[in-house]
Amino acid sequence: MPPERFPIPQGTLDMLVLQILSVGAAHGYAIAQRIEQISRNAVQVNQGSLYPALHRLEQKKWLRSEWRASETGREAKFYALTRAGEKQLAIEKESWDRLAAAVRLIFAQGE
Amino acid sequence: MRKILNLFRGRRRELERDLDRELRYHFDRRVEDMRAAGLSEEEARRRAAIEMGGLEQVQEEVRESWSWRGLDDAIRDARYAARSLRRSPAFTATAVLSLAIGIGASAALFSLVDQVLFRLLPVREPERLVLVDWKGNSLSDNRGSFNLMSYPICRDLQRQDSLFEGVFCRSAQMVDLATATGGKAEPVRAELVSGTYFPVLGVSAAQGRLLDEGDDGEPGAHPVVVLSHGYWLQALGGAPGVVGRRVLVNNFPMTVIGVASARFRGIDIGEIPALWIPAAMKRQATPGWDKLLDRRACWMQVFGRLRPGLTAAEAQAGLQPWFKSMLDEDTRREGFPPVSAEQRAQFLASTLVVTPAGHGHSPLRRQIDQPLQVLMAGTLLLLFLASLNVASLFLARGAARGREIRTRLALGASRRRILSLMLADSLWIALLGGSLGLLVAPLVSRGLLSFLPTEAGGVNLSSGMDGRVFAFAFVVSVMTGVLCGLAPAWRAAHVPLMDWLRERTGARGGVRLRKALVVGQLAFALVLLVGAGLFVQTLTRLVAQGPGFPTSGMVSFDLNPLRAGYAPADASRAVHSALAEVRSLPEVESVSVAGLNLLSGGSWNIYMTIETDGRFVTDRLVHLGAISPGFFRTLGTTVIAGRDFDERDVPPPGADGSVRAAIVNGAFARRYFGSASPLGHRIGFGNRPDARTDIEIVGVVRDFSYRNLREQSEQAFFPFGSDSPAGMFYVRVRGTPAAALASIRTAVGRVDPILPLLSVRTMDEAVDRSLTTERMLATLSGGFGLVALLLSVVGLYGVMAFVVTSRTQEIGVRMALGATRRAAVWLVVADAVVMIAAGTAIALPCLWAVRRLVEAQLFGVHAIDGPTIAGASLLLALVALAAAMLPAWRAASISPTEALRFE
Repeated sequence: MPPERFPIPQGTLDMLVLQILSVGAAHGYAIAQRIEQISRNAVQVNQGSLYPALHRLEQKKWLRSEWRASETGREAKFYALTRAGEKQLAIEKESWDRLAAAVRLIFAQGE
Repeated sequence: MRKILNLFRGRRRELERDLDRELRYHFDRRVEDMRAAGLSEEEARRRAAIEMGGLEQVQEEVRESWSWRGLDDAIRDARYAARSLRRSPAFTATAVLSLAIGIGASAALFSLVDQVLFRLLPVREPERLVLVDWKGNSLSDNRGSFNLMSYPICRDLQRQDSLFEGVFCRSAQMVDLATATGGKAEPVRAELVSGTYFPVLGVSAAQGRLLDEGDDGEPGAHPVVVLSHGYWLQALGGAPGVVGRRVLVNNFPMTVIGVASARFRGIDIGEIPALWIPAAMKRQATPGWDKLLDRRACWMQVFGRLRPGLTAAEAQAGLQPWFKSMLDEDTRREGFPPVSAEQRAQFLASTLVVTPAGHGHSPLRRQIDQPLQVLMAGTLLLLFLASLNVASLFLARGAARGREIRTRLALGASRRRILSLMLADSLWIALLGGSLGLLVAPLVSRGLLSFLPTEAGGVNLSSGMDGRVFAFAFVVSVMTGVLCGLAPAWRAAHVPLMDWLRERTGARGGVRLRKALVVGQLAFALVLLVGAGLFVQTLTRLVAQGPGFPTSGMVSFDLNPLRAGYAPADASRAVHSALAEVRSLPEVESVSVAGLNLLSGGSWNIYMTIETDGRFVTDRLVHLGAISPGFFRTLGTTVIAGRDFDERDVPPPGADGSVRAAIVNGAFARRYFGSASPLGHRIGFGNRPDARTDIEIVGVVRDFSYRNLREQSEQAFFPFGSDSPAGMFYVRVRGTPAAALASIRTAVGRVDPILPLLSVRTMDEAVDRSLTTERMLATLSGGFGLVALLLSVVGLYGVMAFVVTSRTQEIGVRMALGATRRAAVWLVVADAVVMIAAGTAIALPCLWAVRRLVEAQLFGVHAIDGPTIAGASLLLALVALAAAMLPAWRAASISPTEALRFE
């Protein structure tokens, strides 16, 4: 029986973050919340890897960040996708699709 | 460096603060949300903390993403490279030494070039200073070096205040200075300057005050001087009470009003003046030659400070309307010389030329500008050659390190990482070479300076290395580092991995590139060798030719009693008494006095009018000399036609300009009379229509050098007037010049002990000094040529040794199959012959390309000189073949069985 909540598979967090931000800028807490909400709480985001991922993506210039007032009125660090980030997201989505299709194909063969 | 670190530190602190805020925000929101879901404050905090999984750990992971990957790698590469270089000391030493030679030589030359050609004067906004010069026929009497103008025109220009913030003029002169009453006067350099000099330059005083406009009014009414900081320290020991001190300038009392700032050493980079004197004191500073207010007497350089925003070209254009009207006015002024219509038109067509002068004004620069450029080109060539040598060494090392690189590549190192590793290697070598080069550079620089003429006062150049030289050396080191690393790096990046893995192929490709580098080295070496050959021949030809008279045992000195305060009549009596005293000395074979300073680079020259069938003017300036009877005999030359002067030719006292006889030299006779005899024909000074031609040519003298050994000039000589107040003594002595000079000093002292002997020198010294540039070029280019030869031959040897090693097996097989030893040697040597031939083929067009640069420095030989090129090529070929022969012979001496076993 699968566990109730998945930890995010290795290497896919970056892609998920990019996807979330493609909708609009958000701060770290909101990103974590949204991944969990959209996946209907099936995916659990570990904060220990979210922030390193955000900073890494920013270093790669796929994200840019700025401090501005959040919904609570307090200042938060908002991340947004750059043009390079958009391109990267497209690449990652495509390779993910191909991988998923391949995995599905293998499972179909086995049945 | 510290700034950059701080910058890093500041940025780092900011990043930390931001991260802290970011994580705190997350934590607080989480706690809030959980409380909203019904948890207690305490419980919410506990759970949130657990979820975050340890704040420290998160921070640490985030920090890792900040660390600058590239920099870390670079530092690691640098460390690794340093370790690996330390493990191969022979390689490192060779490479570092090669580059040290190249970088050291170029840093030393740059230091000199920078000081002579590039550096701006240490004054306020030097880039706004301009030189104003007269272009066209100024109909004037010029005395001095060049860019000469009159004092009145400087005054006129000072009124052009819409263009200039200020205008000043200056003239370099020698004066006799005694700093204590009764003390012995010494000849020192002085600048005669307008009162605007210091204010316009923006120089400050170290003591007292500097000259200003109030000190340059009524002629003769301002007996004040400013001392240079250097002279104050050196001659007066930096005495504090110097302001107000009385000094004697040419025995005329003047008062020191101040000392200029230490940084300012005059506007002539070649010479440091001891003092500055107001131009108004010209009569006292240059006794016997006043003409301060004469509009046709040109003896000063005029400088201006442009108004902000104006360019030199704009100022030049702006000056012309005024200048045209001034010229027109000049022609109607009283005292304007009677001239031909043509000369008048030339005068009226004159213009003023305004050029940037932030570098000051320097006869020295004019003299050594081109030779320095030639030498700089030579050193850069040498540096390039050294870089090729090191590149070739690196390639060899790269081949040796093939296994390591292959392993790295196989383990997944990116090509870029390999490249950066190799560049780290070569940068280390280059920086080490650069540092060592900088240690050597001051020595080279001192050697260079010793070639320059250092007459009284010394040259204002230093052999010290300053920030600019360090910057230059650093940039050059990094550039050579990259250049050296390029070849091996290029190979690492372009050879496919599979070829690296197939060991042999990799080594072969490297050899081809190394051979190309050696060809380049041989080509550069040949260019430098040919250059050395040309300059050495120039020097030897000049020395062999000599000045046209025997120089040994000949001394000359200047006696100028006017500068000791004599009245003109007393002065000429003193000169003649001194002549009699010197003549009576047992050490003196003969002595003559003349108004002529041979081999000093200076000249008294004028156009002359010649009366033959018709009347014509010389097409070139004629160099003049006033000589006493017997001068040619003293000099050791002969009158080849006609007669020498005798006492009847000497103009009697007071008969100004009553010269009746002249002797011309062979060149003059040939140019203006062809094969006809000039004897009996009449000539006159100047080219004006009213020039009197009442001087008869009575003799022709054999050609000898006047300004320097190179120049062939037309000369005319006149009797030295019996009322001349000063003269240059030429003495042929018995025994050593030093001993004779001591007696001569005593003899002149008997006339008046305060009379100093000026510009004392032997003719041998004069010849030496007139050859300084040639000697500098010959010595340095010779040195460059030898080093280049050595470096390129080492490079060739290295490649050949490598080739032989990799072909030992092949040679073994050939010999086992019956090839003779000679055939085996030829197999290898043929390679070298091809390289040498290719190097020579590349060098020839290079020589053609640089011929313009060197042509002007040569004498008796052309830039493209067959024998020189052939000789240099032969030398290079022989030495290079010998270097190639060694490994070839070794290979052929190995027994076939051994060779076949060789791996």
